[in-house]
Amino acid sequence: MLKDMSSGPEGLSQGRLVALIGPNGSGKTTLLRTLCGLLRYDGSVTLYGRELGTYRRRELGRIVGMLPQTSGADIAYSVHDLIGLGRIPHGGLVSGRSEDDEAAVLNAARVMGVEPLLFRQASKLSGGEMRRVLMAMLLAQDPAVFLLDEPSSASDIKHAVRMFSIMKDLSSSGKLVVSAVHDINLAARFADALVVIKEGRILDIVPGGGLDEDILSRLYDVSFELFMSSGGEKAWHAIAE
Amino acid sequence: MSILAIEAALLLVIVCVSLWRMLSGDVDIPPHRVISLLYPFLPLDSEASLDAIVVRSVRLPRLLSALGAGASLGVAGVVLQGLLLNPMAEPYTLGIASGAAFGGALVISSSVMAVVPAAFIGALAAMAAVYAIAERAGGGRVHIILAGVIVSAFLSAGVTFLKAVADERIGAIVLWLMGGFSGSSPLSAFAVWLAAAFSFFVSWLYGRHLDAVSLGEEAGASLGVDERNLRILLLSAVSMSSAVAVSFFGIIGFVGLVVPHVMRMLTGSTHRPLLCCSFLGGAALMAAADGAAQLCGELPVGVITAMIGAPFFCWLLARRRMSNF
Repeated sequence: MLKDMSSGPEGLSQGRLVALIGPNGSGKTTLLRTLCGLLRYDGSVTLYGRELGTYRRRELGRIVGMLPQTSGADIAYSVHDLIGLGRIPHGGLVSGRSEDDEAAVLNAARVMGVEPLLFRQASKLSGGEMRRVLMAMLLAQDPAVFLLDEPSSASDIKHAVRMFSIMKDLSSSGKLVVSAVHDINLAARFADALVVIKEGRILDIVPGGGLDEDILSRLYDVSFELFMSSGGEKAWHAIAE
Repeated sequence: MSILAIEAALLLVIVCVSLWRMLSGDVDIPPHRVISLLYPFLPLDSEASLDAIVVRSVRLPRLLSALGAGASLGVAGVVLQGLLLNPMAEPYTLGIASGAAFGGALVISSSVMAVVPAAFIGALAAMAAVYAIAERAGGGRVHIILAGVIVSAFLSAGVTFLKAVADERIGAIVLWLMGGFSGSSPLSAFAVWLAAAFSFFVSWLYGRHLDAVSLGEEAGASLGVDERNLRILLLSAVSMSSAVAVSFFGIIGFVGLVVPHVMRMLTGSTHRPLLCCSFLGGAALMAAADGAAQLCGELPVGVITAMIGAPFFCWLLARRRMSNF
């Protein structure tokens, strides 16, 4: 339950990568679902100057896309068909996939590195592969606003880093990317801004490099220590009590 | 195997079953005569012959009715399983059959003879009740299934009650509930085909949206699909078509459940090809089952579909692990 988002991510603008960080149950997913138009809300959420609730679902599908934390994708679709579903908001009702759609599907598969999987059955993929396929579906959808719920969960380190650099590329190309992130170091390294959420409230909004020990310990109720690499990169580690 | 090859194979099965059904029967009519009698513009004198009546008013409507009802139930099964994300969903688990049974039994026991309209209204009323209860309970997929089970149980009890108090009309009720295609008429064939074509067309149109909602509520919504509207539209379409089939031909279970699962093993879960194959597969299975029922001395066709279908389905289940969808 989100209580007060009034100091919230208003004025999130295009071309930014915004990470939502906070402990489990703090309201990151709820915020993402609200922004995707899945939940009713009090107050006001505006998208391109228009109240979110006034958009029709289909319109919204062209503007906002979400990568949910879980998906019932234990379904015998081919990966190619699954990624192709991302084109639904762009096509007519009757039409199958156009050449543009096909190109978008192949491009999305290439970006996410899932080309070799295209003709595999989605239900036989590993958790990490599935996550990348669903992200490819979202890329094929090509919304202006990407809402990602733990995009790198179930990924190995290589793919997690790759996922963040893809998110960075998306924001550089003018998209707004809002992502719930567990790994505070990846968030701090890649994000333009960090929205710090606890118990349904926004504690703080800081720039990517602006995390400090005080914010982190208030957020997670544990102490943190900062490590600095010779190249100047920061990494936070929680200290076991 | 490509989808086209599967569809061609199913069409071939339908052709073979149709030939068998048109050429065999109590009255011995040579094949060339059957074929010549199928010509739509027969001269009046030959239209009145016994052979012509058998072929044109008995065998053909019966075959078409069975094909249409099977197609209808196959499509309904695919839509309900996809929409409700539940492998158990079929027209009969949602109260459609018990609604029709109750409506039909009610008018038979009160000796009004409008059985088909009453069964149709009963089926649609049951479905509307299921939807209303599910909406009040939260409107989720599970709520629809649960409401269906509850409404079914209530109406089945109602049917049993009607049988208990029906006295001498109990025979008529039981006979009607058994169902079958022996009473098919050109009207029933036309109605069931119209319903099957309509529900297939609407479902096919929204096939990709069905793909999207099968991924889960959030994923479907994020792809711009309004699941609530889709559910109302498709549930209405398949309820209507199943209600037509049930009210004319009685309770024929199993086709709507098994055909989608078998076809999914062949084609995968993508709905447009799955809908096409289940339409054809349902039609073929029902026509063949009706043939078998007739061979066994007009057994209720539901007995055949269940007695052959259930062991076959178990064998399939055991032979290859089925993915959920």
